[in-house]
Amino acid sequence: MVLPLLIYGLINGSILALTALGFSLTYGISRVANFAYGALYVLAGFSAWFFLNRLKLSLFLSLLLSILLIGLIGAALYRIALIRVRGMPTSEIIVTFALGTAALEALRFFGFLGSHYTLPAFYSGALPVFGVPVDYQRLFIVILGAVLFLALWIFTHHTKTGLAMRAIAQDEQAAMMAGIDSDFMATLSVGLGAGLAALAAGILLPLSYIATESGSNILVYAIAVCIVGGLESTTGVLVASLLIGYAQMLSVIYLGPHYQMIVALLAILVTLILRPSGIFGKHKELEERV
Amino acid sequence: MKRSKTAIFAMALGVLAVASGIGLYCAVGSSASQPAGKPIIIGAPLSTQYLYGWAAQRGMVLAVEEINARGGVLVGGVRRPLALEVLDTRDLEPGVPLSEALLVVERLILEKKAAALVGGPVRSEAALAAMDLIAKHKKISILTTGALTPAYHRRVAENYEKYKYLFRITSEAGQLAKEAIDLLDSLRQADGFDRIFIMVQDVAHARAIGGLVAKGLEPKGWKVLGNEVYPTGALDYSTGLLKAKDQGAQILFVWMDHPETAILVKQWHDLKIPVLPVSGISGLVEQPGAWASSSGAVAYWVASPANAGNAPSNATPLTMKFYQAYTKRWLVEPEGYGASSSYVGIQVLARAIERAGSLDADRLAAALEKTDVTSAYGRIRFDPKSHQVIPSYDPKEGAVGTWFQWQQGKRVAVWPPTIATGKIRVPPWLEPKKG
Repeated sequence: MVLPLLIYGLINGSILALTALGFSLTYGISRVANFAYGALYVLAGFSAWFFLNRLKLSLFLSLLLSILLIGLIGAALYRIALIRVRGMPTSEIIVTFALGTAALEALRFFGFLGSHYTLPAFYSGALPVFGVPVDYQRLFIVILGAVLFLALWIFTHHTKTGLAMRAIAQDEQAAMMAGIDSDFMATLSVGLGAGLAALAAGILLPLSYIATESGSNILVYAIAVCIVGGLESTTGVLVASLLIGYAQMLSVIYLGPHYQMIVALLAILVTLILRPSGIFGKHKELEERV
Repeated sequence: MKRSKTAIFAMALGVLAVASGIGLYCAVGSSASQPAGKPIIIGAPLSTQYLYGWAAQRGMVLAVEEINARGGVLVGGVRRPLALEVLDTRDLEPGVPLSEALLVVERLILEKKAAALVGGPVRSEAALAAMDLIAKHKKISILTTGALTPAYHRRVAENYEKYKYLFRITSEAGQLAKEAIDLLDSLRQADGFDRIFIMVQDVAHARAIGGLVAKGLEPKGWKVLGNEVYPTGALDYSTGLLKAKDQGAQILFVWMDHPETAILVKQWHDLKIPVLPVSGISGLVEQPGAWASSSGAVAYWVASPANAGNAPSNATPLTMKFYQAYTKRWLVEPEGYGASSSYVGIQVLARAIERAGSLDADRLAAALEKTDVTSAYGRIRFDPKSHQVIPSYDPKEGAVGTWFQWQQGKRVAVWPPTIATGKIRVPPWLEPKKG
């Protein structure tokens, strides 16, 4: 079981990384813990389904429109609600959590239930990787995950907007003195984080189906990864995802599959006790923020 | 200002139109309906956001509409309509405390003045917790969906005087495990399969059934290669599937009702794991939409929506009658566990009320104990001590379960042989041991 452990651990880690990337990016730049993240992920799934099945658009276009729409919703969330409570972490959490819960409950209320809300896989079938069969969608997840991280690194290190975002993340007041619009950058970060949630939904949901209850699972995983890796660190997201991903696979193989859910929660607990700021977190006051 | 006045005027017109519509509907409705007496309130505590809740609700609504269209229920010389009060227990939702379900049961009894309860609570834990509450208020309760725990009818048998108002008209874990064992052993006899890998969800009834099936198969010559328990919400089943493949399993026995079963179905299909998947109650595989939603990946999956009528079969002359009526009413075929049993639950209660001639709980309990009718899933009788519906493989003798297989986009009844309309087929990537 060593090869399956290595291969599926990597896949598991990539899924967790995609899940958490948007949450981490938003927090890293604007210091907003967006607890509506899970709801945005689910909304993205339903909107892509709508574009694909009701408007009969192509899968690629449906996913693209869904990412744009959810990105705009994220930006609107900041401009309409979060801007009023900016800098008050508890209020930010309450606002985003309440809006997220309301969105999920509204979806349930309007009958978005059942297994018929699905997104198709990009390509069905499987490929043996060193003799271990892996379906194409999971291979796409690993490849797209790697491409996304690379693209984000280039964006934040080699574009004017990306550098401005990093400046805000490093020292907001100094960045403002340099003429960077803090609120605009925060809007962009929440919008971009929401867009990344939508991108994750488009890639991950073909593995299962679109269920409102998956919103809370996604949020828990995103928080677990970010706390372990360090809330504001993209590298931390990558490392923590792989750590949790492999730890889950190890527990599945050697302890039993029912221990895998405990791994993520245990990782939060251990991190908060031993290193509250996370593996790559730079600030010590994490426990005051979340 | 002008614009707001126009808006108010338009709104007023809209309200008037809606009110007129409602008035017209009521007028037409009242002239068409026969029952004249005060409605008999039937409380339905259901987890309405989940398959086992909404399918049950639809079954009940259909039964109530049919009964009312025939003139209602005759009680003390007066024909009274049935009125269904459905409240959401949310007991199938993760993280919702059991107290929610208990509150709903109490509201139905005290606030809605339900004469009897039909439906749930749906989770076994909630149904067990509600037993004392229902017994305290001396209300008739017929469980029709969800709760599978054998502890329910065992408790009734052990303390009959206290719990004599509680009945269960649907299957339970012990019976479903027995059906699974018999079905699997028929595969051993027919195809020579004798190696099984078990994957169940980490919930009480699923773990119990996994254990019961393993225990029941081993003495019959089966080799149980694994019995893995997956947490609710697990996102990857590859390890279990690869273990099953490496160990040479021929049957994959699955018992899961969480949405993530979709991942298992798709992984099994994409990885072409050479096992025949036999799933019991499964929120995903049971549903008529499973074929489309999985893009056909669910082909060859065997599943049980518990009672006949939840999938097409000719168990009794009433089975397809119910099936078609449900499809016509809801524009979807009966979707899974809870649909036929909830429909029959209302019918059985209505007949018991007529026989008792009263809504008195003691008289109703006595009338329900004498139930002996043919239904959409066979003959309905309750065990006089435990109030559990009496099961049988013969629909003329008792309540019959159904196991179907997804074949070319259709749910084909394959077990028990008395109601089967087709035979189990194995996936092309799994060769049966015998010719």
